[in-house]
Amino acid sequence: MDRKQIEAAAAANHYLRGLLAVPFGLLLIVSGLGNMGWGPFRDLWVVPVCVSLAGLGYLLLTLSYNDRYGRVTLKARAHMLAGTVVAMAVLIGVPVLVQVLDLPVNGFGLAWGAVALAYYAVTVGLRPHHVAIWGAVVAASLVPLWGDPRTTNSPNAGLIIVGVAAMATGILDHRLLVRTFGPPSDGVDVEHSNAGA
Amino acid sequence: MPEPERTFDRLLDRLIHEPGRLAILTVLSSVKAADFVFLQRTTGLTKGNLSSHLTKLEEAGLVAIQKRFVLKKPNTNVELTSEGRRRIADHWRQLDRLKALSEAPPEE
Repeated sequence: MDRKQIEAAAAANHYLRGLLAVPFGLLLIVSGLGNMGWGPFRDLWVVPVCVSLAGLGYLLLTLSYNDRYGRVTLKARAHMLAGTVVAMAVLIGVPVLVQVLDLPVNGFGLAWGAVALAYYAVTVGLRPHHVAIWGAVVAASLVPLWGDPRTTNSPNAGLIIVGVAAMATGILDHRLLVRTFGPPSDGVDVEHSNAGA
Repeated sequence: MPEPERTFDRLLDRLIHEPGRLAILTVLSSVKAADFVFLQRTTGLTKGNLSSHLTKLEEAGLVAIQKRFVLKKPNTNVELTSEGRRRIADHWRQLDRLKALSEAPPEE
């Protein structure tokens, strides 16, 4: 029996609840399309509706995961707080820096790709699909064809790419969760499963 | 020559060393608290086995079990006591030490 393996399983059961990323990804895509003035997304009322729907979806998915895969309270760790601060700095700082330096790369995609890779490396360890999806986001963002973020739609294209990547990663994470810990209904009587001990 | 049983007891905590209980305590040592379903999913134990191990661990004062209702559903929340946290850390330290000893080259 390996201590690290057991601890990794506990982390995986928490961090691979990937469908939670789907509402977030949808929100990013809708934001990108709205900023570009595409179809019905250009109307202002779409924003609060989409935010509410994404919030509701997230809440329902959280409740479903908690019922089927259990509730866990993580330890508050100083390095997690420090990591969050650094991630926020990168997510805000890199797009600003790209704009200030007038670089032809996609700062939004670059920042989110780098932060996502670091996040998965720290929490559950990088899996092949994490590397493939977020590595592709970083690589695509570095292609020097994006143009000036002030005059082109490159930030909005970045939002859409990151949204699609978040959803794809989430779905694959969920599949991995199901493969590792069993399907949602497997062996767990949702109504009474927590009455044990 | 010491009896093997006594040697085992001196080296390893028999209550903790059982694989199911070792898995439960190790999961709990990596988080602040977890409920019954989380432990069941993560350790792969059956409901009956998990329940019986948790009862033993609670009787030994290694875990604290709180039965509550979350959104009108029964929920069993489990966390390590300070004694449990100390004992599982000691146990893994002892296992690591034994592993290192077994891997060390034999003395001439």
